[in-house]
Amino acid sequence: MKSVTDTGTVRPPLNLALRALLRADATVLMRSKISATLSILLPVVILVATTFGKSQHRLGGTTLTIGLALVIGLLTSSMLGFTLAIAGDRDTGVLQRLHAAPVPTWAIMGSRMGVQVAANLVGSIIVVVVGVILHGLALDAGQVLLVLGAALLGGVTFLSIGQAVVGLVKSSAAVLAVSRVIFIVLILLGLVGGTGLLGDTLKSIAEWTPVGALMTLFADILNRAGWSAQDGWALLACVAWTVVCAGIGIRWFRWESR
Amino acid sequence: MSEGDVPATLPVLQVDQLEVAYGARTAVAGISFDIRPGEIFGLLGPNGAGKTSTLSAIEGLLRPRSGFLLVDGLDVSEHPLEAKARLGVQLQTSSFQAELGIEQIVRLFAGLYGARLDRDQLRTALEQIGLGGELGRRFKQLSGGQQQRLALFIASVHEPRLLLLDEPTAGLDPQSRRQLWNRIEALRGEGRSILLTTHSMEEAQAVCDRVAIIDHGALVALATPAGLIEEYKFDPRVVQAAHGEVTLEDVFIGLTGSEIRD
Repeated sequence: MKSVTDTGTVRPPLNLALRALLRADATVLMRSKISATLSILLPVVILVATTFGKSQHRLGGTTLTIGLALVIGLLTSSMLGFTLAIAGDRDTGVLQRLHAAPVPTWAIMGSRMGVQVAANLVGSIIVVVVGVILHGLALDAGQVLLVLGAALLGGVTFLSIGQAVVGLVKSSAAVLAVSRVIFIVLILLGLVGGTGLLGDTLKSIAEWTPVGALMTLFADILNRAGWSAQDGWALLACVAWTVVCAGIGIRWFRWESR
Repeated sequence: MSEGDVPATLPVLQVDQLEVAYGARTAVAGISFDIRPGEIFGLLGPNGAGKTSTLSAIEGLLRPRSGFLLVDGLDVSEHPLEAKARLGVQLQTSSFQAELGIEQIVRLFAGLYGARLDRDQLRTALEQIGLGGELGRRFKQLSGGQQQRLALFIASVHEPRLLLLDEPTAGLDPQSRRQLWNRIEALRGEGRSILLTTHSMEEAQAVCDRVAIIDHGALVALATPAGLIEEYKFDPRVVQAAHGEVTLEDVFIGLTGSEIRD
């Protein structure tokens, strides 16, 4: 049996499809109140709480506090927002219906990630502004741009980790459990491990975790420290996590949970 | 050859020796059939017979292990997106993002299929299917019948050559089912071909021009509903299943067995 049409192959314009996807994904994200609220509320709570007493010093000073708030915001929106939304839509057949449409699969996932990255940037701006107001940190335009660049990188890294989770784990209930565990492990390893309280070995490991690497970048940008080899390794760590996790997430991703 | 040169008599769908497997388990074992322009074709079979797997392969959601699938002359494996563009799809579980309103869902799928609808056209179209007053509501807020009508409207929003409807009337009350049959026949009247799966023999007899019965992934019989009854009315398995005059359901039970499938 042979295909009779070689030139009569019509597919819908990609720009129209992308616009429709972006508009729908942005609407869904704006209406997903719990995820949006958590990813902004949690960091703001940290910033507000650390204005009382000596808690800020316990967290390592103003720059580390703001860095921590930024990382928690990015991690929450990616691991507890994006990942769970994808898993839920896969369980209910939403992804399957989109997959049946004449649109490349990269466009469907790319639109979701693009909207999430934009939301991450907006959340990061809010966190920085609140941090500057509450903690009296002075930032120049260059620092703000670098912070947003690091937030962009961190957001993409955490989204890739989330993509790997939905690639390897099928049911939304299991994805929820695994995401929570990874969220806690990343925070504990990146933050507590990074302080050296758990020993030198864990401190070294912590520097290579996504949270540890991102904290290093944020701290150096906010402290106006010049570019160092440590920053280079932190950048490399984030890129490596992104590439590996995105690869896993794409390779093993399934559009339905059956 | 341009699109306009495609012969009018060319089947809209050609399925040839299709095999679909999930790992070691074969779900569809080499079935073949075709669908002609303007035809309503029913795929009947017990649970797990391979109906949805067949549809999923045609929809491009599953990669067949072997065989050919041509949609409007296009090889689905060579031109997956172009083939999908010519299909209207209603999945067994019609699910759309819970956060989106009806208007937003329709706009999303119109965009995905390259159809342009202004607000007036959208309103008029939704009024025609009895959803004119529901524009701002969410999909989950609609009744079962409204959901199925909307899903069918979305499947046909880009005026596809072939509609694939997976159990479109499952769980509907008789009124809603009749409305949907009318809508399906209206779509055929507009020149579309329809492939539907159903467990309802009444539905198959009422709306289908031809039906294929599949079981354990294999094609058991294919003819018009009346033709099937005529062909099998003296078959001992069918006679044993019949209670009086032989019906399509008797033929179905006779050919696929009476044990319950899950």
